[in-house]
Order: sequence, then C-alpha cells, then structure tokens
Amino acid sequence: MKKNYNKSTEEEYPDISIITSPVKSFFYTVGDMLSFARSFVQNLFERPQEIRELLKQAYIFGNGSLGLVGITAFIVGMVITLQTQPTLAELGAESWMPSMVSISIIREIGPLITALICAGKIGSSLGAEIGSMRVTEQIDAMLVSGAKPMNFIVKTRVLAVAFALPLLVFYADALAFAGSFISLQMEMNISLELFLTQALDAVKLSDVIPATIKTFLFGLAIGIVGCYQGYYAKKGTQGVGNAANRSVVLASLLIFVIDLLVVQTQKLLF
Amino acid sequence: MERSAQEGKKDEINRTTANGNEKAVDSNSISKSFGSNTVLKDIDLHLKKNENLVVMGRSGSGKSVLLKCVVGLVTPDSGSLTVLGKDLQELEDHELNELRRKVGYLFQGGALYDAMTVRENMAFPLKRIPDRPSKSEIQDKVEEALDSVGLIESIDKMPSELSGGMKKRIALARTLILEPEIMLYDEPTTGLDIITSKEISNLMLEMQEKHGISSITVTHDLSCARITSNRICILRDGNFIAEGKYEELENSENKEVNSFFKN
Ligand SMILES: Nc1ncnc2c1ncn2[C@@H]1O[C@H](COP(=O)(O)OP(=O)(O)OP(=O)(O)O)[C@@H](O)[C@H]1O
Ligand SMILES: [Mg+2]
Repeated sequence: MKKNYNKSTEEEYPDISIITSPVKSFFYTVGDMLSFARSFVQNLFERPQEIRELLKQAYIFGNGSLGLVGITAFIVGMVITLQTQPTLAELGAESWMPSMVSISIIREIGPLITALICAGKIGSSLGAEIGSMRVTEQIDAMLVSGAKPMNFIVKTRVLAVAFALPLLVFYADALAFAGSFISLQMEMNISLELFLTQALDAVKLSDVIPATIKTFLFGLAIGIVGCYQGYYAKKGTQGVGNAANRSVVLASLLIFVIDLLVVQTQKLLF
Repeated sequence: MERSAQEGKKDEINRTTANGNEKAVDSNSISKSFGSNTVLKDIDLHLKKNENLVVMGRSGSGKSVLLKCVVGLVTPDSGSLTVLGKDLQELEDHELNELRRKVGYLFQGGALYDAMTVRENMAFPLKRIPDRPSKSEIQDKVEEALDSVGLIESIDKMPSELSGGMKKRIALARTLILEPEIMLYDEPTTGLDIITSKEISNLMLEMQEKHGISSITVTHDLSCARITSNRICILRDGNFIAEGKYEELENSENKEVNSFFKN
C-alpha cells in the first residue's frame, strides 16, 4: 500500500476497528508504521533542513529528561552494586566489582533504563503534542501553506530523540557509576581512583560502540512511534490520549525487541 | 465603507465576472463518503476568477469537506477537480505544494501553531517558499498583514494568550500573507462581534477587489454573506439545492432556502 503523506492522511487511515483480531491489527499497525518510517527516511534529505527546530526539540527532550534519568540511573547503580556485592564477596571476587558493574551498566542497564524512561516521557509527549496538532488541524494548515509537516514536525523530532538519547545514556552511565561507587564505599574501602581505573579498564570500545548504536536505534524507535501515533491521532481529546498511551506501550515493546536483535547481531559479528 | 458604495463595487465585479469564463475552481460530480456516511454526492462546483462564492448549509452538511477537497486535504472518491487549471489528481507532490501556496485556507478553528508566537506563525509559510524573502521583507509583511486585521499589538503573544476571535483574525492574516489567488474561508466571522465581523467582511471584499482574489466562503453570518457574496449556493444532502444572488435566494419561494436568510 503506497501512502501519500502529502494528502491529509487521517481519512486514508484504514479503519482497523472493524478488524476484531488484535493480532491482525497489530501487524496492520506495524506495517503502517514501517511505511511511515520509510517516508521519514525519504524525507531525510528534503529541504529545507529545519536545524533550528531540531536543536530546539533536542534541547527540550534532553534537558527535560535529565532529572528523572539521573535519579533513576543513580539508584539503579547503587542497587545492583548492593545486590551483587555479597555474592561476589562469598566467591572472594570482590575486587571484580567495579569491572562487573561497569560492563553491565555500559552494555545494558544504562541504555535500557534511559530508553524506557524516555519512551514514557518523550514518547507520550510526542504522541500528545503531534496528536493535538492533528486534531486542531495544525498539520493540515502546514500542508496547505505548502510547508512540509513531515519535514518540520516529524523529521526534526525523530532525529532529535535519536541524537539526544545517546547523550542521555552517557550521562546516565556516569550517574550509575557514581551510585555504584558510593554504595561500594559503604561496604568496602575503595578509592575513587581505583574504582574508576578498574571500571573503565573493563570497558572496551567494542562495548561502547554497539551500545551507542543500540541507543540511537532506541531513539529512532521512540521518535517514529510517537510521531506516527500523533500523526494519525483520531479526532477528539480521546484521540490525543490514545495516541500518547499507544506511543508509550509500543515504544517500550520495540525497545526490548531491538535490544534482543542488536545483542544477537553483536554476537554474530564479534 | 458606505453600503451603497459596496453595492456599486459588487455590481461591477458581478459584471466583470459574469462574462469571464475563466474558472478558478472547476469540479465535476465529485463524491465523497467516509465509510457509510456519504457527505458529498455528485457535486459540481464552479468558481469564476475574481468571484466570491458563498456556501451555506446546515451543520454537518459537508461544507468543510468540500473546501478540503479543493486543496487536496480530502481526496474525492470520484469526479474531477481542477484548480487554477490543474487537475488535482494528476499532480506530483511538489506541484501540489506549489499549487497550495496559491490557495489560502482559513480553517474553521484557526489552526494557529500553538508552539509559536504570533510573529513566528505569520512568518512560518513565508520562510518556506522557494524564493524566500529577506528577513526585513518578512518582518514588513508580517506587520502589514497583522495591521490589516488590527492586531499588530499581539505580535509577540502566544496563541494561548489570545481570544477566539483574535485567533481567527490572526489565522486570516497568516493565510493572506502568501497573497493567494484563491481563498477558502471556513466561517471567517463566526465567534466575532458584529463590528469586528463587519471589518473582516470588508477586508475580504477588499482582498477580492484589490488583489483580484477568487474565494469560496462558508458562513452562517448573513451580513458577511450579504457583503461578500457574488453568488450563494446552498448545500444539503451532499448537493447544492439552490444557487443565486443573495437577494434572489432571500426571496426564494422555497421555504428551505429562504429559511437560511431569517434570523
Ligand atoms: N476526516 C473525517 N473522517 C470521517 N468523517 C468525516 C471527516 N470529516 C468530516 N466527516 C463527516 O463529514 C460530515 C460533514 O462534515 P463537515 O465538517 O464538512 O461539516 P460542516 O458542513 O463543515 O459542518 P459545520 O457547519 O458544523 O462546520 C460530518 O458528518 C462529519 O462527521
Ligand atoms: Mg465546517
């Protein structure tokens, strides 16, 4: 099915409510979303490049998530340290703590936690914002004035999330390290210098690069799902609510799927 | 503006448009249904150049859908639609965009971009035309357009700080800023007080006279219809049931038709 994103898409949106089978409607949504993603890709080099809007959105997304991401990462860093420390101590492998913690944070916990939080925070705000733009005909108004909403609204926001997310992950990793260090301090005497040397020594470039790529993909997923749900929001406040809600659910689900796929691919490659 | 002067100008336009057979919008038997809800049925819509056609009809009769067809926001199920000599169905995306810049659309709800100030709202379409004007030109145009709707002092406000009527006027100014050849006004005066509504009607008339804009206006406002219309069509059950000048329809024998003209 070829979709023309220059037409008002709302009316061409297939009425999936008649399909009672949820499985069928799930695949319907996925197929539709893939075609939306393709249109996003086709628009990548479309002019004008709305750099200013992109930076603005990236700032909003990034800055707005600092608090929640920071606190969560810090606490998770503490908790995993507190929980693994006794086991490792039993095995007499306590000195492995920093490297173990750092590998799990960098490879998995940092990206996953950040992405899930952003799926909630950014995904829902994208769904709601773009959904209300759809409902109040702002998207149509853009189309009619010859501007390209795919370009101005969708492309900028998807890219903004995709680029902001890896930065947020570095920040989350750092705070998780901090949390881990503080809880280690409580259990055993370790200097910050030693902790950092051990933690960072354990991390190889082959950990950081796949993790960053993965995060970038998480960001793309959150952005595309949120924009897609908003773009096709049904009329009315309920439509906007649904768009926000579905963005979060679908984006979270996709994050796990992508995580799994990336880890499998990574295994094959390295 | 004096009433008689208005009438005089209108007659003049009537005369010049009556024999001009150039069409701004030309549609033949367009139909549109949403699921089982048939909204438009074999409708023929002809808009001559420099004419203002007023479309009246009950709520939900499909007036907004009709306007949306003209800009390609809604694709008719069947029928042909030519706007400024271009068949909408055959246009590529970039051609459609080009055409849309020549067609202004005032949305029923205004559709201001609520994340932008009034100034940014106004400049938005201007910054995105292929031969983009310079910063100072944009600034001048924005101020001029806002001035024409009497809202220059709101230039740095956000849409959420404006009243409903102000939003509508700003939306109108934003649409006119691209100097379209065709204007589609969806209830331009609804929600405005009588005085402002007269001013808007006169502005619409001025656009038609000064800039030669052809327009389709959807309205329930009799004074707006009287001031701006060259011709009125009444929409019911997906088709036009009557057509004529204001005075003709006002005195129509058909009860259903003239009921639109009673307050
Ligand atoms: N995108 C859409 N999807 C489904 N149905 C629609 C859509 N747009 C309009 N309709 C239906 O088409 C009919 C006509 O709607 P339209 O908005 O054109 O009415 P209107 O004449 O402009 O009414 P009003 O004077 O209240 O603005 C309504 O029954 C509406 O439910
Ligand atoms: Mg309407």
